[in-house]
Amino acid sequence: MVKISVLQHAPSTHLPARPGDPTPTSRNLDPLMHPFARARERTRALNAVKMERIFAKPFIAALEGHVDAVETMARKPGTLNVVASGSWDGGMIVHDISLRRHILRVDEAHKGKISGVCFADEDRLLTCGVDRNVKLWDTREVDENGAGPSDVRKPLNVFPGKSAFNSIDHHRTDPIFATASNIVQIWDETKSAPISNLSFPTSIETISAIKFNLSESSVLASIGSDRTFTLYDIRTGKAERRIVMQMRSNALSWSPTFPTTILLASEDHNLYTFDIRSLKTPSQIYKAHVAAVMSCDWSPTGHQFVSGGWDRTVRIWQEGRGTAPEVYHTKRMQRVTSTLFTSDAKYVLSGSDDGNIRIWKARAHEKLGILDSRERAAIEYRESLKQKWKTDAQVNKISRSDFLSLFASVYIVADRQLSSLSRTRHIPKPVHKAGQLKRTMLEAQRVKEERRRKHTRAGESKPTAEKRKVVIAEQS
Amino acid sequence: MARAQKPKQSRRPQAKSLKQNNLRGFAKRQSLKSQRSSKYSESSDVYEYQPENVRRSKVKLQLEKDELDGARRDISGSEDEDDGPKRNGLRPRLVGENDDEGGLGSDEDEEIDSDEAFDESDEERFAGFNFSTKKRSLQSRTVPLIDLNEDEVELEEAPSENASASEGEDSAADDEEEGDPEDFIDVLDMIDGKGPAESADEGEHTQKEERPSASKARVEGDDVPHLEDEDEDMHDEEDEGISSDESEEDESHISPMDDAISASGDEDDDVGTSLHDLQSFITNLDAGQKRKAPDDEAAPTTETGEARRQKRRMLKERTEAGEENEFAPHRGATKLNLDDLLNPLASSSSNLLSLKKSAKILTSISAKNQTLSAPLPQRTQERLDREAAYQQTKEEVDKWSATMKKIKEAEHLSFPLQAQPAGRTSNLELAAKFKPTTELESAVDRLLKSAKMREEDIAQTESLKMNHLSVEEVSARRAELAKMRELMFRAEAKAKRVAKIKSKTYRRIKKKEKAKIAAKLGEGSDDEDMNEETRMKHEVERARERATLKHKNTGKWAKAMRARGDLDEDQRRDISEMLSRGEKLRRRIQGIGSGDESEEGEDDTEDDEEGAADRIKASAFEELAQLDKGSEGEEDSGRKGKSIFEMKFMKDAIARDQQRAKQMADDFVREMGESNHEDDEDDELTGGRIEESSGATIERVGGRVTYRPGAQQSQLRTVNSLASDTSSITLRSNDLPSDVARSVTPSATSPIPEKLGIATEAPNPWLAPRQDPAKAVPKKHEIAVSKDSASVEKSKNKLRKKAQKHEEEQSKARNDAAVDISMSNVMTLGDNSSAGPSKPKTRSQSGNQRDDGDDDSDVHSEVEEQERLLDRKGKGKANGVKAFEQRDLVARAFAGDNVVRDFAEAKRREMQEDAPKEVDTTLPGWGSWGGTGTRKAQPKPHLIKKVAGVDPTTRADYKKAHVIISEKRDKKAAKYMVKDLPYPYTSKAQFERSMDIPIGTEWNTRVGFQRGTLPKIVTKPGTVINPLEKLL
Repeated sequence: MVKISVLQHAPSTHLPARPGDPTPTSRNLDPLMHPFARARERTRALNAVKMERIFAKPFIAALEGHVDAVETMARKPGTLNVVASGSWDGGMIVHDISLRRHILRVDEAHKGKISGVCFADEDRLLTCGVDRNVKLWDTREVDENGAGPSDVRKPLNVFPGKSAFNSIDHHRTDPIFATASNIVQIWDETKSAPISNLSFPTSIETISAIKFNLSESSVLASIGSDRTFTLYDIRTGKAERRIVMQMRSNALSWSPTFPTTILLASEDHNLYTFDIRSLKTPSQIYKAHVAAVMSCDWSPTGHQFVSGGWDRTVRIWQEGRGTAPEVYHTKRMQRVTSTLFTSDAKYVLSGSDDGNIRIWKARAHEKLGILDSRERAAIEYRESLKQKWKTDAQVNKISRSDFLSLFASVYIVADRQLSSLSRTRHIPKPVHKAGQLKRTMLEAQRVKEERRRKHTRAGESKPTAEKRKVVIAEQS
Repeated sequence: MARAQKPKQSRRPQAKSLKQNNLRGFAKRQSLKSQRSSKYSESSDVYEYQPENVRRSKVKLQLEKDELDGARRDISGSEDEDDGPKRNGLRPRLVGENDDEGGLGSDEDEEIDSDEAFDESDEERFAGFNFSTKKRSLQSRTVPLIDLNEDEVELEEAPSENASASEGEDSAADDEEEGDPEDFIDVLDMIDGKGPAESADEGEHTQKEERPSASKARVEGDDVPHLEDEDEDMHDEEDEGISSDESEEDESHISPMDDAISASGDEDDDVGTSLHDLQSFITNLDAGQKRKAPDDEAAPTTETGEARRQKRRMLKERTEAGEENEFAPHRGATKLNLDDLLNPLASSSSNLLSLKKSAKILTSISAKNQTLSAPLPQRTQERLDREAAYQQTKEEVDKWSATMKKIKEAEHLSFPLQAQPAGRTSNLELAAKFKPTTELESAVDRLLKSAKMREEDIAQTESLKMNHLSVEEVSARRAELAKMRELMFRAEAKAKRVAKIKSKTYRRIKKKEKAKIAAKLGEGSDDEDMNEETRMKHEVERARERATLKHKNTGKWAKAMRARGDLDEDQRRDISEMLSRGEKLRRRIQGIGSGDESEEGEDDTEDDEEGAADRIKASAFEELAQLDKGSEGEEDSGRKGKSIFEMKFMKDAIARDQQRAKQMADDFVREMGESNHEDDEDDELTGGRIEESSGATIERVGGRVTYRPGAQQSQLRTVNSLASDTSSITLRSNDLPSDVARSVTPSATSPIPEKLGIATEAPNPWLAPRQDPAKAVPKKHEIAVSKDSASVEKSKNKLRKKAQKHEEEQSKARNDAAVDISMSNVMTLGDNSSAGPSKPKTRSQSGNQRDDGDDDSDVHSEVEEQERLLDRKGKGKANGVKAFEQRDLVARAFAGDNVVRDFAEAKRREMQEDAPKEVDTTLPGWGSWGGTGTRKAQPKPHLIKKVAGVDPTTRADYKKAHVIISEKRDKKAAKYMVKDLPYPYTSKAQFERSMDIPIGTEWNTRVGFQRGTLPKIVTKPGTVINPLEKLL
């Protein structure tokens, strides 16, 4: 008899039991067995951050169509791809940003500039203009009258006002909307006259923007030319509180996840978040723009927001982190007058003086398209490595640098090459110069203030915190 | 401003009821006005003069102190002149302030009515108060009081009227509106602050009113501004009631209170109809209730301006006065009710009914809110509304705070946050829904159905089986089953519990029990067998005891033996043998120990006393003699024993050793003899240097570190000394490894300390200088390369063997210690003495120059100074001895902390470690021939590894005796360092911990990896993220 001995592998030990299961690993997880774990992870972190910089290409597309500056944009609630925009020439376009085409285009929607756009509900769009009219539009490609996208559309309804409108916003659920002119007016969609006027007594300012709170939808906020921020409640029908600031604000936006937080884009190059429960001081100051901030919008997650400035840059901020935002710019992008996040928090739109709407990735290095689970795991691993090793000098340096100038084919960059890289993101020269100038001026101011404090009696008091300087007065 | 605040204080917003009151009050006032206007056209509006009251109140406040003084001096009644100028001095200021508020027209103050001038506290104050007193007081008025009031009124009004003369009423109102806001807030604050004080005063007031104890009460009244206000209210009202010229200014509003006052004022002159009286009284009721000091009112009309003081006095006196009538019944213990007042009129007229109705409203309003307030100015009202609305909104918004906090603190957020959770389906649900679709499923189903094994079938069959049993049977069976189950369950539980017990004692007891039971069961078994068994057991135990060296009679076996009592010879002998053996061992251990102790003791005494040196020498000689003896004895024993030492070469070697030892001993003796004299001189010259340098020795014995001064062996023990040391190995074995490490290094770089000028050992004159070439040679080997470690080991072994021999031969352990001491001393210090002699010479040459960085110089410099002084004086030996004593004291005081030397030592070691060196990596037995007659191969160059360290001269701390600068910075490791603690971390350990844990798959489980890399915010592409919504 022949005895056969066989080397046997029990499949259960090295194969997954079921198709979905992970392959069992025969690895020793004892950390003592891996003395080089740290070094390896650091190298990986370095690679991850280099890859991030290499693949940081945020610009996706530009949507054309407007002849003049894009003054205002609004996304259609509940959709990802529909965005309406209004221009200084009175043209209004509803874009499909995924297909990059116009769903609706009305060239002469208003006489003069369209100052505000918002979606009323499903398919209806409200626009207001300096021609003292609010118009209600049907945004379906073929409306009831059979007018197509390119045909001359007639508004469904026109709400005439007494003075030029500067802004419009629709209530989240109810069929009412608010307009801003020299007063705040609340309108019912079914009525041709405003149902109520809200204004802070003794205020003779022009209200420049107005927004309904998203979660607490009866709360309303406005900013005015008197450097004010005013809070209203349509339930009480009153302007409840007002703060006067050092400089006027240009735009405001309510946080979608933190209902008490509001973001103001100020003329003094900064953005401020306020908690409406205590308006004395801002909860955070965001400093990086080198010119007035013209627009801002929260990401739907409420953890970041986008701002567009007179300095021709778009910046993406992390909530609570007052410096070093991501900077987007292109050569041909002019003053950014409107910015918008899409509802999936993945993309950012910017409308600028040059009449284009640009689509950007909210995270510059993010890979678009479908990811399989392994790739996603790898990406997540890289992200967490970057997060973990951000304290490492080299990792930090690379993450702050700009790889755009490098060839994408440079996969491995030796450390000495890195040292020659610029240490910060590349920004246009005028912006850079403006930043330098601003820094110089601020420094001079600081020095002067310091000297004043040192040598004069007036300066004996303690220096005020930057946050305390923002609000001049809080009025009730 | 404060003045303006006073009345508004009372206007504290009492929420909505206040507003209602306002409305109601206003309506009533209107109605009454219309009624009255015809009759009492001359009566002016109270509200017009309220501002004056207000202003006056301020005056009072300012004058308070004066008034206090005045009130005190009042009794003497001569202060009018004194007060006059003061008041006049104040008046301009008052006017000025009026000018400031110039906008305040007379009519704007209408809003500040007397009703509002009272707040809850006032009401409380007057809760137990009757109107009768007021009535009475109204009737009895004093001339001076009123007169004064008029004066002031005029004074105050003049500016205000002037100011507002040109302005219309509207503008005045506007002004007031603008002026108000700040006031309002302040008032609120003030109310908050003041409330308690007033309530505290409450008791006093009531007292005061009951007992008109003149000046004191007045002072109290002054203290509380409210009281003053009220007083003045009254005054003004009275003024108006009487002087019609002022009332002409404004007749638009006629308050019921005013009417009431005027009515009561009229009462003196002409008594109107009873109905009218009643009405006026009732109207008076609500308004007048707040009057705290109705006494004040009791002043009709007079014009003398100086009578202020008088007025005061009169006030106090007249409190209780007043005639009793139906409207002012005598004050009793019971509270006056409205009904009591109305009863007499019950039959009189039909108007009464309506009156009653209106009165009912008043009474029905809760006791707290009996006052009605006028509506606030629109602007103020709006502001209040805004404030309230903002509070509301805040509250509303604040409901989100918990959610926001949760979101803020969440480690991971998956957006959209409020996505509809996918419900989980239960098994039952699935089972109920299940319908066989595929072939297999239907086949299985069919089978089950045919076998009647489906759920419902099983239930059915069970019920069928139970069918033909009687109820009793079934219950009995069930009971039985239940019982069995119960029992089983209990037994199981118990067994489980018992099995879980880990206690050894419990197990032992259990075992014993078991054994007992077994013994009981097998009682009849053979005794002999048992005995044999037990004997075997005993033997085993004893063997174990011996093996484990349990030599005391505390062992098990020994105990058993002792317990047994009668022992046979063998056993007794065994025991005694065991004990003796134990004793021997103990003695041996102790002997060695005692030897050490004596040695240490000697060291100590040597340090302690000067004369100890002689003793040491004596003991050294003694030891030498013993060594000699021992060696002789060894020779003897060597002859006897049959071992390797019998062999010739061994004998030769031993002989050679012995000879060498003898020679050494001779040298030592000779030297000692010579240096005995030298020593004395030397001692005086170099001072305590010898001992100081010897310093403290740190010795580790048995895991304990002992610091003791003066023993130099352990620190400076070289390899050789270590080798020779073996006799005491049993005691010192603990510090062997560290000793090796320590001792190898110094020998390798002995020149370095000299080069650096670091002081080494001072010479120990009674110890022999290095002479022995045999000892020196191996040392040289070791210096060059540490490859000699093998040979070192060998020699060490040899020595150890020899030492063991000694030990066996010498019954006394003390001798061993002596050998140890002598040999080590000779060898170690011989080494150091080579460097030593040069030092003292230079030192003596340099005279009093202080040597820097030397080990003990810092510590003993002062002592040395003293000594030097003594030397210079050239005193005799006695002085020297004295100095030594002192030095000795100092030495003792600083015995342990030889820091400078330790530092130098540490530095030397550091340098040694960093210095370039060669390491021989030859493996013995590899690549070379073995066996007898083989030559030792040359060290192969490729096996000698050169470690490029840091050359001592290139070090950063070269020639810097006071610092050690580490040269160990590792560039590769540097990149893992951070400058500061990164932000979120609060401690170094925390940060290090977080960096320690890798997150990759290689070092984590799959789940751990997934958890570790889960991003904080997860969004799905293509998913709309809606803002947070209120979910109901």
